[in-house]
Amino acid sequence: MITMLIIKTDLKATALLKLIYLEMFGHDMSWASFHVLEVMSSPKYIQKRVGYLGAVQSFRPDTEVLMLATNLLKKDISSALPPTISLPLVTLPHVITSSLALSLLSDLLPRLSHSKPAIRKKTVVALYRLALVYPDTLRPAWPKIKDLLMNEQEDSSVTAAVINVVCELGWRRPKDFLPLAPRLFDLLVDGGNNWMAIKIIKLFATLTPLEPRLIKKLLPPLTTLIRTTPAMSLLYECINGIIQGGILEGTEGVREGEEIASLCVGKLRGMIMVEDDPNLRYVALLTFKRIVTSHAHLVSNHQDAILSCIDDPDISIRLQALDLGASMVNSENLTAVVERLMRQLKNAPPSVDATENTRHNSEGVEPAADSDGEDPGETLKPIKGSLNDAPPLPAEYRISIMRRILDMCSRETYTNISDFEWYIDTLVQLVKLVPPTNQNSSNKGSSTSAEAEKDISSEIGLELQNVAVRVSTVREEAVSAAASLIAVDGSESTFQNLNAGGQGVLQSAIWIVGEYAHFVSDPSTTLSHAIHPKVRYLASPILSTYLQAIPKIMISITSHDHTPWTSERNSMTSLLLARITHFLEPLTTHPNLEVQERCVEFLELMRVAAQAVTNHDTTYSTQGPLLLTRAIPSLYTGDELKPVAPTAQEKVPLPDNLDLDIPINENLASILQRADLDDDLTDTESSEFDTFYNVRPSRKTAIAVAGPAIETLPSAEPEPLSYQQTEGTASLDPEALSRKRLERRIRNKDDPFYIPSEDNNNNVSGASTPFHDILRSTNGEDVDVDSIPIMNLDLGDQQQSPPETSDPEPRALALSKRKKAPKKHHVVALDENLDLDIPQLASTSRTASPAPPLRAAKATRRNPLQVDSSSLGAFSLNGEGDDGEPGRSDEAEDKEMAKALAEVERLRMEMQRASERVVVPEGTLVKKKKKRRKGRDVLGGDGAGNEEVELVAGGGQVEVGVRGGEAGEAEAEVEAVGVGEGAGGEFKKKKKKKKKREIVLETGEEIT
Amino acid sequence: MINAVLVFNNSGQPRLTKFYTQLDTSVQQRLISEIFTLVSQRPASACNFLPLPPLLASSPSSADTQAGPGPIHNDTPSLVTYRHYATLYFIMISTSTESPLALLDLIQVFVEALDRLFENVCELDLIFNFETLHATLAEMVVGGVVIETGLETVVKGVKEQGKVPRRVETGGAAMSRLGVGRFG
Repeated sequence: MITMLIIKTDLKATALLKLIYLEMFGHDMSWASFHVLEVMSSPKYIQKRVGYLGAVQSFRPDTEVLMLATNLLKKDISSALPPTISLPLVTLPHVITSSLALSLLSDLLPRLSHSKPAIRKKTVVALYRLALVYPDTLRPAWPKIKDLLMNEQEDSSVTAAVINVVCELGWRRPKDFLPLAPRLFDLLVDGGNNWMAIKIIKLFATLTPLEPRLIKKLLPPLTTLIRTTPAMSLLYECINGIIQGGILEGTEGVREGEEIASLCVGKLRGMIMVEDDPNLRYVALLTFKRIVTSHAHLVSNHQDAILSCIDDPDISIRLQALDLGASMVNSENLTAVVERLMRQLKNAPPSVDATENTRHNSEGVEPAADSDGEDPGETLKPIKGSLNDAPPLPAEYRISIMRRILDMCSRETYTNISDFEWYIDTLVQLVKLVPPTNQNSSNKGSSTSAEAEKDISSEIGLELQNVAVRVSTVREEAVSAAASLIAVDGSESTFQNLNAGGQGVLQSAIWIVGEYAHFVSDPSTTLSHAIHPKVRYLASPILSTYLQAIPKIMISITSHDHTPWTSERNSMTSLLLARITHFLEPLTTHPNLEVQERCVEFLELMRVAAQAVTNHDTTYSTQGPLLLTRAIPSLYTGDELKPVAPTAQEKVPLPDNLDLDIPINENLASILQRADLDDDLTDTESSEFDTFYNVRPSRKTAIAVAGPAIETLPSAEPEPLSYQQTEGTASLDPEALSRKRLERRIRNKDDPFYIPSEDNNNNVSGASTPFHDILRSTNGEDVDVDSIPIMNLDLGDQQQSPPETSDPEPRALALSKRKKAPKKHHVVALDENLDLDIPQLASTSRTASPAPPLRAAKATRRNPLQVDSSSLGAFSLNGEGDDGEPGRSDEAEDKEMAKALAEVERLRMEMQRASERVVVPEGTLVKKKKKRRKGRDVLGGDGAGNEEVELVAGGGQVEVGVRGGEAGEAEAEVEAVGVGEGAGGEFKKKKKKKKKREIVLETGEEIT
Repeated sequence: MINAVLVFNNSGQPRLTKFYTQLDTSVQQRLISEIFTLVSQRPASACNFLPLPPLLASSPSSADTQAGPGPIHNDTPSLVTYRHYATLYFIMISTSTESPLALLDLIQVFVEALDRLFENVCELDLIFNFETLHATLAEMVVGGVVIETGLETVVKGVKEQGKVPRRVETGGAAMSRLGVGRFG
């Protein structure tokens, strides 16, 4: 029978081993957790090991059978065989829960003095992991661990393991570890173990900020280590420790300080330059990044070394170098850094997705030996001088370089830029280097990268726009750059390949060209680029900006008065208008409503203008038609656009008589209700919507009919919703139409804004609207030009005057922050803002607003691999309460707590009896209590000390209680556990927590 | 501390997964495949530090925005160190309390220990004796904390647990030796 059983578990163990292997490939084995437990309890070591491995690999926080394993774990921890003891020690860190920790603690502690060092060090680590879920572990365990550390006879590997654990604990509460400093120092100086030295240095880096005297003590040994050690890892960590420990700051100004700083930087440079090891280069750059925030001048001395890494074959090194380069730019080296990056972008071949994929596949399938055969040539080759076979750059990397360039240049409103012509040129070149968008690969999730690409080109555009607006001295250059960008043909064209990236820049470019059209050197060419048929196929937001810019450019051609308005010019203008009309016409049916609306509006304007030109008689005057020379320009001229600070809106004072709480329409609710009820109306409306959105308007009825607007203008009655005539109105018989028209004319006779027509087929307009007045006056009739109100605007000045002198006010503003440039003096306009003094409002809103989402994000996001040790932060290791909190010795409180705990204990015992077959005998409980006291004695030493321990615990608890949250929970639990003990089930634990929380709240009140 | 130790081969098949926190199997698999995609794209000349995979990158980015020396010391994994031996990748994910260069050495010790135990270790050994693989790791890292870095002690510790089974001699691609000396 027994042999049968053994054979069965043997089989089971083998099966389990296979299951564990499959689990590694992602097969769920949670169903087998009970079998795992069964194999764990096997008497055979080989089988037991399989069981424990299964527990490590497959148990999850919700695995419930673990509760049943408590006694098994206790038994194995107390086993006489070292390998058997190791199993639970190694397994516990993976499966530990606070209740398990509570019951196993007493069994683990004696293992710290096991004769085998291997067991001792594993126990130390297991206790550390226990402390993470159950911080009170440290109360009895820490003194023992400390003893292990202090004992100079201890096995060195145990000491190293303890150091590792202390290093993990150390950064949470560095204060508690200051007393260890002398021992740590000794270990560092004559330890002789590099692994341990690295950890000690890391630990010291957290201690030095608390104890500045340590710096003086540490400096000599660290300097010696840096000078002498052959181990690169130790050297690196020494330098790192010096930086992180604030030793550089601590010794600022002292001779040794400067010495050590330059020594560190020198060694780092050595790691970058001399060693042909990408790892060293990478970590050296990381360290440089940390120094650069405090010692920028030291780092910029080694600019050459860092910049050489920008061309490193390894992308991650490049990115680090890029980061570093970006953070150390100043006005002197900006050009050099940017030029270098630009060269890299230009020289590296773009990576093609397809080839990259095949390369990876082949790498995956081929044996590594083969790929090694290809590599040596690559690795041995020096990085420089092989620009032709520079590694292909992935699109993401290119984009990040471009972003970096933009960031560097635009930092602090262009403080670093002295040469804006160069910057504009750089921007134009960047546009050409934007990686192409590959539509064909959108099926494999590159849609996000395509978006990013679109982003970068429009970012470049915005930069260009920003420069054009802010720096008036280079506006002309910016405009010509923009004009070159929108050119349809030519070397700089973005239209060469419609798939190429950089389309996003067009929106800004065309805006600049339109806004500053008077700077355009060759407006007619520019205009012909803007109305090129290809433009029609651009994305609709870009297209609508185009539409807005076209009339502006046109005006700059027609309104200038350099040449007299001869008949030649007249016909030229009429031709121009015809071309624009021709461009606009097809767009009136564009699917995008924004485009459609703008197009229809401008088309009308163009038609009216064309009419004016046709009717213009050049024999009487050398003046152009007033509509073109004065009226339309007035639409686009006015105050110059200035950058406005994002906070300006907040500073606009609220008018006194404005009450935002008054409803605009008090009957809104009832109106809405009525609208809901009115079924008939919605029916007709919906059918109108249907025709509008779904029925394609036919060419004939659409506005494309050549002729003045009046013909197709919808009546003032609100019947058709569309800009076009719908099929319904078109089907009206001509008689009815003309009758309607007559009615309309009579009704609108006195409306100055209504432009009626004389006749259906007559192009001559006869009503007296301001526009038509102008038209008529330009035809030679004696109309007093000045009496037309629209002409009173003085436009010429604004247009012709140089922009620098036109705005003295912002200039004075800008003077405060301007940059002296050797070559040329540029004034960068700052954001305009209201000078009302509400600084608190502005500053608080600016600083406070980003904070809450950040905190929220921190609270919700939790890294999957993260081990939460936050509960340790509130736990004091020292008996001498260094919290500075007043202790409380409230006997009533203690009594209350004791009562609560007794209740909990009673419930627990009841539960245990009911649910578990194993009943914990009373004897063990008593024994444990004794042990617990012993632990306290060790901590405190005598009676007084003992009391102090309690006080400290109380203090810590109050603090946490006020803070609340997760730490509070853990701490509350800790305190409860500090007095009561025994195996814990889920339910009892909760009970305790609840009780405890009440007490915590009370104490909190007391203190405040 | 070390958050995870992974070993997988050139085609991304896991050979050892050890997470020092309890994770869902699906999350584990996602992490492995994310890291494999990252690692397989790197040329041999590249450095041995990986950017964080997307699964892990989310929270450090928020940690970066913290001011001061805060982000240097926290619980979030911030380092992915790997080494490539013949057909196998060895990966360690750790927090900033570990030294990146020391981790590289640790991987080397791990592989050397395996090499001692199996005498010219190859991928096949690790497949058939993955229990020994786990045991070796347990002698070096417990609960994410490094407890032993001495080669001799590690080998001795594993051998004390029982005989390491001998390899079944068969051919195949998986037989290519890990070539420990390459980095040594």
